[in-house]
Amino acid sequence: MSEGAVVDEGVMVAQIDDIPDGEAIKIDAAVLGTADDVAVFNDGGEFFALDDTCSHEKASLSEGYIEDGVIECPLHAGKFCLRNGEVLSMPASVDVACHRVIVTGSAIRVVPNPERLAS
Amino acid sequence: MTITQLPSTNEGGRPLLPTGDLCRPGGFAQSMDVSGLVDSGNGLVDRSVFTDRRLYDQEQARVFATSWLFLGHVEQLQKAGDFFTTFMGEDPVIVTKDKGGRIRAFLNSCRHRGARVLRADYGTTRAFTCTYHGWSYDLEGKLISVPNEDGYPAETWNRAEWGLLEVAQLDIALGLIFATWNPNAPALADQLGDMKWYMEAFLDRDSEGTTVVGGITKWVLKGNWKLAAEQFGTDWYHVNMSHASALMVLSPTGKGPKADIVNTPGRQFSDERGNGTGFPTHPKSRFDALPVHEYYDYAALAERLGKARVEGPLTTGHATVFPNFSYLPVNGSIRVWHPKGPDEMEVWAWTVLDKSMPEEVRTAQRLYNLRTFGPSGIFEQDDGENWSEIQAISHGWRTNTVPLNYQMGLRSERDDGVYPGSTSELYSDAAGRRFYARWAELMNTPAWHEGAE
Repeated sequence: MSEGAVVDEGVMVAQIDDIPDGEAIKIDAAVLGTADDVAVFNDGGEFFALDDTCSHEKASLSEGYIEDGVIECPLHAGKFCLRNGEVLSMPASVDVACHRVIVTGSAIRVVPNPERLAS
Repeated sequence: MTITQLPSTNEGGRPLLPTGDLCRPGGFAQSMDVSGLVDSGNGLVDRSVFTDRRLYDQEQARVFATSWLFLGHVEQLQKAGDFFTTFMGEDPVIVTKDKGGRIRAFLNSCRHRGARVLRADYGTTRAFTCTYHGWSYDLEGKLISVPNEDGYPAETWNRAEWGLLEVAQLDIALGLIFATWNPNAPALADQLGDMKWYMEAFLDRDSEGTTVVGGITKWVLKGNWKLAAEQFGTDWYHVNMSHASALMVLSPTGKGPKADIVNTPGRQFSDERGNGTGFPTHPKSRFDALPVHEYYDYAALAERLGKARVEGPLTTGHATVFPNFSYLPVNGSIRVWHPKGPDEMEVWAWTVLDKSMPEEVRTAQRLYNLRTFGPSGIFEQDDGENWSEIQAISHGWRTNTVPLNYQMGLRSERDDGVYPGSTSELYSDAAGRRFYARWAELMNTPAWHEGAE
């Protein structure tokens, strides 16, 4: 989340009320023009966005378990840092891409990671 | 009305087990003719039914694999993904609510190398992932993720064939979840028959239904599971003797209940499917825990359930739904006797309460149940001591070969015009004789899964 960002930067994906604390939603890749779907998480009122597909096996991180800045994959319990997508736990071994989130008022905007745009 | 007949599912047969060239050799599972071990006509039982490992294995394949078995209470599952684990015989099962809100039960054993997929007692999840290699199953039992799936040859690998095994039938009666592996089992309503009328006196007092509180209390006992199941079906006889001290402690005088209570008449119901229940009949049959007694409007209960049930099975009594589910109405205890080898059982017990009960009544009944029939309850310990003591000496040759007596009330069963089905006096072994007759019948009948052998 960055303060004072350009209001029309990125794509508005949700209102903050759409994502209760401790939950996540999945944004279709087509909406953001990204290579993968993007999961947007609410961890204690802070919002984060990562590539939705776990780097270990095919699983949606938006269905995972959020705790203390970490998302745990719902299938094999690999863990990733919500801030930067860094892999934190086996059996996963590869980071997932991170996208920038801007909250303006009640609107949540995601700025797709340029390296993860659909080719 | 209160038995939900769910469609008998094809899921029970799913997935078709890939068997390759596997085929168990003929005679692999030897079955014994047990007709010489149970003589229900003369009220005699051979003690080996409690001790023999071969009979125990046959019991798993022919009694537990074919019967409706109790899993839990519907209130244990509130929303999609809620689950609890239990056993059907020795088979571990996951009971869960799927995304459509339907209760499902799966064998809790990974199709890959057989580990338990789920080790928690209860919780909420989005998928069931085996912690051995990571095979993941969804709430419908479908295999959804296999690490390194590319390693299986594409021409033979079919992930759809490797989902969790599901029970053949699952139904709910009076808030209780039952299931069976047997696709040919008659409907649960048929298995219960007249027994349901007696169960309603416990589980249908409240139009709102029942709930369970305090989790599941679990303990291990030395003793064959049938010792407990049989006693809850047929045995009022032990009460004044085994529970003498407990009855004295609970009585206002300290000397025990009044003579007309101690020597109460009563009835004992039994049926040919092995179910049994017994209860004193008394115009003043009442709940023991005072706040519970004061909470109930006995006239209203008589209106709802009829006078015969209020004077009988509403309060003090015992019951077993064949084979291993039992309950005690007066303190709201329901329990399952999980077999753990011929010499050991696990008791899993719940406290059932009417949903409409206010908090202080709920607390009173819960504490009353724990103090009497919890693992350290003053009655429960009497019973457990009896069963463990019996088991401890049962393997001696001389001991094991002496027939046991189930002759009380022999041929006294009749239709008394008041209590449905066949009943005998309260002090009777009628339900015990029928419990073992049913057991022997199943033990001597090739089970549904033996068709191909």
